[in-house]
Amino acid sequence: MAAVAAPSPIEASCRSRSAFGLNHVLLYDLADIALTAARQSGASYADLRIGETRREYALAKDGRLENFDERESQGFGVRVLLDGCWGFYGARRLDPQSLRDGVERALENARAVKPIQFQPIELERLPVHEAEWIMPMGVDPFEAQASEKADLLLSIIASARDHGADFCSASISAACEERFFANSLGSRIHQTRTRVAPSFQATAIDRASGRFATRDCLTPARGAGWDYVVGAGLIEEAARAGEEARAKLDAKPVAPGDYDVVIDPTNLWLTIHETVGHSTELDRVLGWEANFAGTSFVKPSMLDELRFGSELMTIVADRAQPGALATIGYDDDGAPAEAAEFAIVEKGVFKNFQMALGQAHLIGLSHSNGCAYADSPTTFPIQRMPNISLMPNPQKCSFDDLVSDVENGIYVVGAGSWSIDQQRDNFQFGGQLFYEIKNGKLGDLLRDGAYQGRTTQFWNSLAGLGDASAYHLDGTFTCGKAEPMQVAPVSHGSPPALFRNVRVLNTSDDA
Amino acid sequence: MFLSSDDAKAIADKVLAYSKADACTVQIEGGLDQSLRFARGGATTNLASAEASLRVSSHIGRRIGSCSISHFDDEALAAAVARSEEIARMLPVDPDYVAPLGPQNYGFSNRYDEATANLHLDALADAAARVIKEGARIGVDTFGCATTARRFEAFATSASLFAYERRSEIDLSATARNRADAWSGWAGAHQFSADRLDAEQIARVACFKGAHDATPVDLEPGAYTVILEPDATTELAFWLMRTMEARAADEGRSSFARPGGGALIGEKLFDEKLTIRVDPADPLAPEAAVGFEGLPHRARAFVENGVLTTLYRSRAWAQKTGSEPIPFARNFVMSGGDASIDDMVRSVRRGVLVTRFWYTNIVERKNLLLTGLTRDGNFLIENGRIVAPMRNMRFNQRLGDLFSNIKALGPTRRTWRAAGDGGGAPAAPAMLVEGFNFSSKSSGI
Repeated sequence: MAAVAAPSPIEASCRSRSAFGLNHVLLYDLADIALTAARQSGASYADLRIGETRREYALAKDGRLENFDERESQGFGVRVLLDGCWGFYGARRLDPQSLRDGVERALENARAVKPIQFQPIELERLPVHEAEWIMPMGVDPFEAQASEKADLLLSIIASARDHGADFCSASISAACEERFFANSLGSRIHQTRTRVAPSFQATAIDRASGRFATRDCLTPARGAGWDYVVGAGLIEEAARAGEEARAKLDAKPVAPGDYDVVIDPTNLWLTIHETVGHSTELDRVLGWEANFAGTSFVKPSMLDELRFGSELMTIVADRAQPGALATIGYDDDGAPAEAAEFAIVEKGVFKNFQMALGQAHLIGLSHSNGCAYADSPTTFPIQRMPNISLMPNPQKCSFDDLVSDVENGIYVVGAGSWSIDQQRDNFQFGGQLFYEIKNGKLGDLLRDGAYQGRTTQFWNSLAGLGDASAYHLDGTFTCGKAEPMQVAPVSHGSPPALFRNVRVLNTSDDA
Repeated sequence: MFLSSDDAKAIADKVLAYSKADACTVQIEGGLDQSLRFARGGATTNLASAEASLRVSSHIGRRIGSCSISHFDDEALAAAVARSEEIARMLPVDPDYVAPLGPQNYGFSNRYDEATANLHLDALADAAARVIKEGARIGVDTFGCATTARRFEAFATSASLFAYERRSEIDLSATARNRADAWSGWAGAHQFSADRLDAEQIARVACFKGAHDATPVDLEPGAYTVILEPDATTELAFWLMRTMEARAADEGRSSFARPGGGALIGEKLFDEKLTIRVDPADPLAPEAAVGFEGLPHRARAFVENGVLTTLYRSRAWAQKTGSEPIPFARNFVMSGGDASIDDMVRSVRRGVLVTRFWYTNIVERKNLLLTGLTRDGNFLIENGRIVAPMRNMRFNQRLGDLFSNIKALGPTRRTWRAAGDGGGAPAAPAMLVEGFNFSSKSSGI
């Protein structure tokens, strides 16, 4: 997101402590051991990730704290390029012998795939970096007391139930990743980032009819500390959620049809993620995900040619936006965050793919753009999204301005059920709240809605866009991709936006 | 890191000895996962990863705190125990507290083969090579993944329970796309023993399905007769199974809730041909012997001849309602019939043969409305014959209606799931159903 300042690569004022049980000297020693062994065995390139991940998950349902779990894992992963073949090995033990054994196993794996490596892996020349980066953060979520978290969850639940919900579940997830990256070219990069995700779901039931309705938390996951959770107004939001879940039971059903739709950023982030984020991943375009996550309707020949959306549509990638979940100083190939600042779509025209190491030359480009991530030190880094966001309208445009431009429409809030085809074209997304728009005014709450579309048709129907005052950053901890499945955190920001003639379904009557 | 039963027990005993809590449970799991991916006929990424984790849960004054670690030296074990106790002391009392289980009587689930457990990446490369070779032979591009895993899980409690299970896994899945990138086919299989995995067969089926050059037919949205191959049936049955939770039904927030209160157990909700069982001793799809919370998995039907017979129930909810706890299962067996897919095709005047589904998701929990798309091998059937490849479609389909409208079932077959993803795969038959609701066209290939 270019509209905000990037964090400093080294942020010494962070209150987070280093969780590594290993000191810098030992990390460098382990790196030297592994990378020297790889080089001496003939590897033309090798890299190493040593990391520790701390996670915390607390879950409460109604009046009961059902689970409170802290997790801490350490490990390493070594990747070697031998005779044009990748080999990778990861393990949990961090000692010199385990690193040496790991290199041997990685080399064995590279030799094992040689018979089916018909096209050697080629890498671009990587710049060398020696750096430390720590995400700026307020209060470390791992320093907050378990009792405080339990109290907050139970208060959220009580608030929802006091305001119309029959049931409520609430959870808090937190993660802190510390990674040390080293490669055979000489890079040595030590980074720490933290993220939190509050969540709840309020359920209201009409026992006589057997109907029930839910309203999920709209407070997004963020790259932030415990102070973000405390300050997010979750108890107040739970009260609204209780009322809204109850109100949904008696709401008017959505009449299926084509509508002008104003989409709130709490919903639009997921549409951006699925339709733009995934469709412009070069590994998918190359077919590397064809067996599982899928390919893409976007092709290399479409660079600078494809009319992805209307002129209002500018979508940027970045790894520097404060508070965003994919923000970091360097990606898991060691590429700096600056490489990941680029337009994917500019004024409606497709401009750039997301790339990881070894992909750029396949479409005639000289270098990748900082889009690698491994969800654990023990997993192979693959191309993953940086933060990808829809830029606000440079012209002044409020939410009310968007609504006033709609004669017969629907306003969609919050992410619901979602699904998109494997080439990222045909999609169907639900929501948490649907409101009627009539003659430029927001009207009644509706129930049982979802919208369906085709990616470029949908984005070309973008007819109105809020300005920066309505910009909102949302995201997820768990974007899944690859085999074996890896999950990645990522944020997507946007203002509210108006789309014309979008097909809306009724999920109870118009299946 | 793979541990034997004795080694896992020695670590669990250490943890229990460190515990100063009222009660304590220990879960240890780990092993070696190896995988290899290929695309356009050549290797892309690979991985071997030795994983290990230990979770200790301390029970103090009806409060439970948990802590997990990935390394098992004495200092780390003692610190994890102390931290879990520290967490427990900070938490509120659990009104539905249940104490750890004592010794249980587990069945035996045959899910381990030593030769499979000792495979290396070269075996996976060999499996991939068979797919690549077949693709080259018939002129399609091939993509896929081969995985093997050697895993163990141990569970111990301060009430003298110790349970240990191990499993070996191998899977291969392959996608074939025609050279115009305009059509695709898929096949896959998962087994606990490598000698049951037929890589040649997977290669043949995926490439045969992908080798169509004719322009796919576009079908208008609407209700159609469909033949779902076993992997497609499994995807839908899995969603049905994962919604079968007793508490949600008892509390009125499930499709299995009775209006006015209570669950619909004992009601005939589906076609009488629908029977879904879970059984650790099943030869095709054995569930683990040890379930969630250390509960034993027993042979039981969840749906029998269309009647809802069982719902999952946690120990806490079972205690509160005076009912039997029933662990969630990932391996199930949907009973089949004797109709072959060819038989089914011959019986269809106009319909669609579906290989598998993609991105399925519940849209509406009350009516179990599921959405998703067909993928990698749709074929139009007319007058009892497959006449053309057919473009993919989105569906919006109520599962209750689907499983109430079964016209024929094929033999039950073990289906695909990625090795390591829950430790197994369900078994299901091909299924002929009427009135399947395709809601929109997809250009996705």
